[in-house]
Amino acid sequence: METLVIQVGVNSRGQPQRDQRRIRGDVLRVGRALECELQLPDPRVARDHALITFSAQGALIAAGGGPLKINGKPATQAVLSVGDRIDIGPYRIDVEAAPAGLPLALAVTLESPLQPPCGERIRSAESRGSRVSRRRLSYIALLGLLLLCLLVPVAPDLLSYARQASPAALAVASAATVNTSVSVPSTPASASAVTAPPHIDTVSLEEATLRGAAGNLLQAWNPGPLSQGHQIFASDCGACHQTPFVQVRDEACKTCHKDTLDHVPISQLTGPAGHAFADTRCAECHRDHKGTHLAVRSQEQCADCHRDVKQVAAQATSANVIDFHSGHPAFRISLTDAATPDLVRRVRQATPMPADMVERSRLKFNHQVHLDPNGVRDPDGKRNPAGMHDAQGQRTVLDCQSCHVPADGGRLMAPVKMEQHCQSCHSLAFEPSVTSRQVVHGEDAQIATMLREFYARLVLGDVPEGVHPPDDLPRVRPGAVLTPEDRSRALAIADRKAKQVLHELFATRQVCSTCHEVSRKGEFSWSVASVKSSSSWMPQAQFSHAAHDSEPCARCHDVARSKDSKDVAMPQIETCRECHVGAQPVAGKVTSDCATCHGYHGAVKSSGSSAAAAHSAVRRQHANHSFRDQP
Amino acid sequence: MPQHQSILEFKRGRYFKLALLLCAASVAAYVWHEPSTSQLKPYGGTWLGYTLGTMAAVLILWLMLLGVRKRSYSSTLGSVQGWTSAHVFLGASLIVIATLHCAFEFGWNIHTLAYALMVLVVGSGMFGVFSYLLYPARITNNLAGETLDGLLLKMSELDRKCRRIALELPDEFNALVMKASADAVRHADSGKSLRPWWLGGRGRNRLGEARDALLAMGSSLSGAQVRVNEQLVSEMTRLVSVTERVRLEFRLQALLKGWLVLHVPMSFALLAALTAHVISVFYLW
Repeated sequence: METLVIQVGVNSRGQPQRDQRRIRGDVLRVGRALECELQLPDPRVARDHALITFSAQGALIAAGGGPLKINGKPATQAVLSVGDRIDIGPYRIDVEAAPAGLPLALAVTLESPLQPPCGERIRSAESRGSRVSRRRLSYIALLGLLLLCLLVPVAPDLLSYARQASPAALAVASAATVNTSVSVPSTPASASAVTAPPHIDTVSLEEATLRGAAGNLLQAWNPGPLSQGHQIFASDCGACHQTPFVQVRDEACKTCHKDTLDHVPISQLTGPAGHAFADTRCAECHRDHKGTHLAVRSQEQCADCHRDVKQVAAQATSANVIDFHSGHPAFRISLTDAATPDLVRRVRQATPMPADMVERSRLKFNHQVHLDPNGVRDPDGKRNPAGMHDAQGQRTVLDCQSCHVPADGGRLMAPVKMEQHCQSCHSLAFEPSVTSRQVVHGEDAQIATMLREFYARLVLGDVPEGVHPPDDLPRVRPGAVLTPEDRSRALAIADRKAKQVLHELFATRQVCSTCHEVSRKGEFSWSVASVKSSSSWMPQAQFSHAAHDSEPCARCHDVARSKDSKDVAMPQIETCRECHVGAQPVAGKVTSDCATCHGYHGAVKSSGSSAAAAHSAVRRQHANHSFRDQP
Repeated sequence: MPQHQSILEFKRGRYFKLALLLCAASVAAYVWHEPSTSQLKPYGGTWLGYTLGTMAAVLILWLMLLGVRKRSYSSTLGSVQGWTSAHVFLGASLIVIATLHCAFEFGWNIHTLAYALMVLVVGSGMFGVFSYLLYPARITNNLAGETLDGLLLKMSELDRKCRRIALELPDEFNALVMKASADAVRHADSGKSLRPWWLGGRGRNRLGEARDALLAMGSSLSGAQVRVNEQLVSEMTRLVSVTERVRLEFRLQALLKGWLVLHVPMSFALLAALTAHVISVFYLW
């Protein structure tokens, strides 16, 4: 008995090929083993996989050492008929119509060829290249980061720019809109359109999302925390950075800081380098994004101009300065003269002191007497009924604070007031027998009137309670009716008395002239020359008495032997340098750069007669608002 | 010129000296530029900051051009060896220059992102230099005059031989040889993993286990099959040793080149971050 076996495959040119052969035998062993009639040389086939036998019913296949599938279903044996399909391992065997005389024809196809050997598989995997492509990763990294870090953050600006360039784009963008309407003032171009309806731009949902994402990503551009005062602008970069690729302009600062003054009026920047200084932007000194305080530049920047200040301001009168320790001139003291109250003399300290380093205030005052360590006569002594003599052993020791108290937050000293500081000792009583009554300080024009009225009352018998009229005045019996002649005689006596007392006050008893220059102008007219003293000796320095209260006053103000109010007891720079050094730190000393004592904005208001007033006004304003960046 | 001159010793360390000079000059300028009297800390926006930043940016662009130069074989613009030597030393000096440029100021922003990417790129580059010092000798040793293609051909030859021999042996031997072929591929491939051994980077050598199993199963055989199995085990042992060499080759190549997977894409990320950094700084000047 013979079986036709057709080996189905492809030839070397890739075309289908059917090789036929006949196998003789009554039993057909199918398997991997050499002795099989139908050998299937593949490791996936068992040595004796199946057995085909022939009987009256036809060919019969039975499973041997391996599993069988007949027409897709597992089977252990089956009768084969034309069209049946047998699966043995990777082989597919189709039962075909056998030529005449043959009982069986089998077409054998290797369905899934054996994997190529390991080396070839590795090599083909190698030739496919690595799974991780450096090139692809590089593109992803480059484009991804550019998109996230650059393109999205500036997208809203680009969008606005594109719209300005072509208003037609607006219509396209607003095609699919939601009602997140933003009203935008119409541009000049569209304003010219005839009877344009009220213009409302609508923002599409996509654009709103883009703007949100851009806002968030833009925060990643922030190089550092904003200063405290500017933190309200945190998410609004455009508040300061108004134009892309243009440095922050002063206009942006002046939107809020309208009243901040220039260092020097621009008209004064007449030196060859003045122009450059006039162009200095706010932001060149005030650097933001550097922490909670606006950063300020070093005193090097002050020294840039002040090492040769005339280069910048040709008319400048200030001396050149580099550093407090190594290059600061002696102090200039602002002095006022009572004779020319609107004029400030600025006199620089020197050794020996210049002759005009005096204050012509017209006030007489002797610090030495008042600061006598043994004390001054006590006011209670003066109230002694015995008169204006010492009460035995009663003396009061005065110190600086008795008259000088800090004002303006400790920056300056409050003015000394007659009523508050002097009058408890220096009584303005005019009538020894009426100690409770005093003339009003500072009202010299009214004093004569007041005295004449006072004595007139007494001579006319209208004696106030508690007042004992002096003995040299005539007395009127209570209830007596005065004739007009009596009245005019009595008033003449009162006037004479007033004139006498006036003379005593201003001249003989030296009540006024103890401190003031007095002069007689007429019968009842005496005048006290007006007094003018400096309110601030060094208006350009931000000195604080409060910050120096650990030091005795005398360390800076040596008045213990001053007998004249002309003396100017301001410390010299050497005194300050006992504690303060310049910007270069020194152990045990206070490091002090320009800004320790000096302000910048409005440091010079203007030149002219009222310079002193302007100085102190500006200085006070500046001190109150304290715009200093670093406390 | 000796044939195997290290890029580190190119022209007696010409670029090392140049990089050192660059770093020293930068540090000196930094110290001199902002005296202690200043209340404003140094930062990238001073004239020195801009200078250092420009230097660093130009350096980065030039360093990235190495990728172009090494591919232009016809170029005569200096030798690739010189370029690489300069790439290594000037790249390392970037750490100093960029750190002085940012004046030790860091934050959660794109500026520090650019800095961090630069550190990553330079760091991976330094690892690359270390790799090029260490692994080429080991690769030469492992290949021992052969090539990877040669070894792979050998593997295929041995695999075929094993399969052919196994056909004569019982089915379980066949199955084992079939599996061993896949194991050989997997074992060789495991060399490409850069996972360290303590994270399972080494893996099991299943190929070796298959060989041992064949040896053990041989005791059940008799007659002519015993000799056939002996032959199979001997071929399998050769396959094991060749596969091990292929695996080691893969591993050394991965170690030698693996850092580039970080170095190259990160340098492009750096290019993007640097562009964003520069533009953003001047966009919001």
